[in-house]
Amino acid sequence: MTQRPTWQIVLRYILVLIVVGWFTFPTYWMVTMAFKPKVEWSTAHGTIYWVPQNPTLDNFETVLTEYRGRFFRANQSSALPSIRSSIIVSIGGTLFALLIGTLAAYGLSRFSTDTGELPWYIALGRLGLLILVLLPFMVLWAWLGIIRYWYGILSFTLLGIAVNQLLDKFLALFYRGPTGSLAFSILQLRMFPPMAIVIPVMIMWSAFKLIDTWYGLIAVYGVVTFPFVVWLMKSFFDEIPRELDEAAIVDGASNWGAFFKVVLPLAKGGLASTALFVFILNWSDFLIALLLTTRDWPTIPVFLNSLVSSEIGAQHGPKAALGLLAVIPPVVFGILIQRYLVRGLTFGAIKR
Amino acid sequence: MANIRLENVTKRFGRVTALQSINLEIHHGEFFCVLGPPGAGKTTLLRLIVGLEKPDAGTIYIDGEPVNDVHPRNRDIAMIFQNLALYPDKTVFDNIAFPLRERKLPAEQIKARVAQVARMLHIEHLLERKPGKLSGGERQRVAIARALVRTPRAYLMDEPLANLDALLRLEMRIELKRLQEQLNETLVYVTSDQVEAMSMADRIAVLYKGVVQQCDTPDNVYNLPANRRVATIVGSPPMNFLTCQVQRTDGQLNLVHSGFGFRVIGSDHPLWDCLCRALPAVQEVLVGVRPEDIRLYPEQPTDVIAFPARVAVSEPLGAETIVDVQLGRDIIKVITPPTQYFAEKQPVWVAFDMAKVHVMDVQTGARIYTTGAPEQLQCILPGTCA
Repeated sequence: MTQRPTWQIVLRYILVLIVVGWFTFPTYWMVTMAFKPKVEWSTAHGTIYWVPQNPTLDNFETVLTEYRGRFFRANQSSALPSIRSSIIVSIGGTLFALLIGTLAAYGLSRFSTDTGELPWYIALGRLGLLILVLLPFMVLWAWLGIIRYWYGILSFTLLGIAVNQLLDKFLALFYRGPTGSLAFSILQLRMFPPMAIVIPVMIMWSAFKLIDTWYGLIAVYGVVTFPFVVWLMKSFFDEIPRELDEAAIVDGASNWGAFFKVVLPLAKGGLASTALFVFILNWSDFLIALLLTTRDWPTIPVFLNSLVSSEIGAQHGPKAALGLLAVIPPVVFGILIQRYLVRGLTFGAIKR
Repeated sequence: MANIRLENVTKRFGRVTALQSINLEIHHGEFFCVLGPPGAGKTTLLRLIVGLEKPDAGTIYIDGEPVNDVHPRNRDIAMIFQNLALYPDKTVFDNIAFPLRERKLPAEQIKARVAQVARMLHIEHLLERKPGKLSGGERQRVAIARALVRTPRAYLMDEPLANLDALLRLEMRIELKRLQEQLNETLVYVTSDQVEAMSMADRIAVLYKGVVQQCDTPDNVYNLPANRRVATIVGSPPMNFLTCQVQRTDGQLNLVHSGFGFRVIGSDHPLWDCLCRALPAVQEVLVGVRPEDIRLYPEQPTDVIAFPARVAVSEPLGAETIVDVQLGRDIIKVITPPTQYFAEKQPVWVAFDMAKVHVMDVQTGARIYTTGAPEQLQCILPGTCA
């Protein structure tokens, strides 16, 4: 191997430093901001403070304590309820998605009878027909004035499912080909921007009295992250040889026993990384929580957004302080499951 | 302790018929081999017996009881998968103990049983290890131990030795045979290796394209193959097949090939019966002779009738030499002792063991007749009878 010239090595390190700096600077700024006193937050005093001159914990105190409006400062509620809220709904939503998603993924991996993709024209035509059939009913429901109430939404949903099934039967009369992949349909749930579904969900949730409740948020988070769990876990299950479940069943285990005693322990690395991924998604969600919470259950991102006062504008210091606190759970979670994230647990299982 | 019976069992996967009306009876305590080339449906047969697949038609009986709708866990049959399917995250002890734990046996009893089986298979020192840290042969033993530990009604093995190296395979073969004799339990053994089947089995079922071609003792499968397919699958190198013209002229029946000819003597001969009375329209038959039933002579022998031929290729294997010989328009394989040396293109004389000549139907490949004694067919040179 030939030694590269020194200038090349130096140039390489300079480039690396620039790229690393580019990506880590925002984090650096947030971390330092959390410890800066108010005068150092901005350049209002004529200087940029790259490093905190007088590090202080005031920002943490401000954000964690409740303050009833007095001189100079407006009413300020504590961030503690929002931290509690974030922890409960993120963990709850993650567990919910993992529970249904993992079972669904196992089913898709082992028992799926998918017969290839539906041709795009059939898929689009079917969607068009579905909308065409359901539209008059929607108008009817609106005219009857029941579409705003829980029974209206529930009945319309059931009607939609029924029409969908009938449409499949109808199509089957003159179309015999691949019936599409269920796994792909599940992924399609995530193929439009969340904004598009959040408002209908908000209307539904208000009809079902689920707005600003922890279980309402958990339900949404579970459903929204469910497709990710299915796809990630399915790929992990696909890697585990089917013979292992079969061996367990022949050895006297039930189908559930084979799943819980043999397959799931082998997929725990995948389960841990999926859990982390989904947890981060839920933890950092802003849009859904903003629209579905009001007073009792705003999460950390929603609370962060409210850290603005009429007197002094955005409260950069407390925002950064809370941001720093919000980083802790995913990082700790990540470190805890680090050993499970290492792949290759199935090595040696099967002679190939 | 089990008697397994399959009655008209058919299994399809989509449009592919994996098994076609299988009828088999596997007796209690029998070492039963299912032999066939890859893709013959051997594994599907095992999976049907153990219950991992459901037959599309027909019934499977275990001890006279139909088990089509019995869940595999309740059939009490142990299966060793081709890839062994050891649980990689569990220690050897936990692997072996798994079936017992599923049966909720007390811990002490489990420990005792595992220890006993481990001693029997000489793997006591491996109990704390994970399967990934074991050698191929050790994994094999663990898989066998996991099957043995619960004393099932029958054992099914799916090419258990296929992934071992040649020497280990030899060793495990003997060990399996010894084990089966010791246990005296029903064992269904699937293999594509005819040597394994011949050396271990009490009976062999030869499977080809989802159909049982023959089900008999190794001796009969080898000596009286039901058809051309069986004769090709059993025996290495496979049997030579030579297409012969059937000549029925003035009270004589001759089978004539471009390199040799046979005369059927006496009108009470079974072949006469078959070719002149039952199948008078048949113009051609296949004559099958195993490579080990042919002898080569460098000079024309005086004591037997031999046919002139020419050596094409010679493959010395050490213990024996396989010689490809051009006989008439066909090439036949002959096994010769290594002491004999044949050069390429060398003229030789070919003599058949006349007690082991098979005659088969050209169309169906079914065996019509096998000579049992040398005097039943007379050798003639092809030129002399026309």
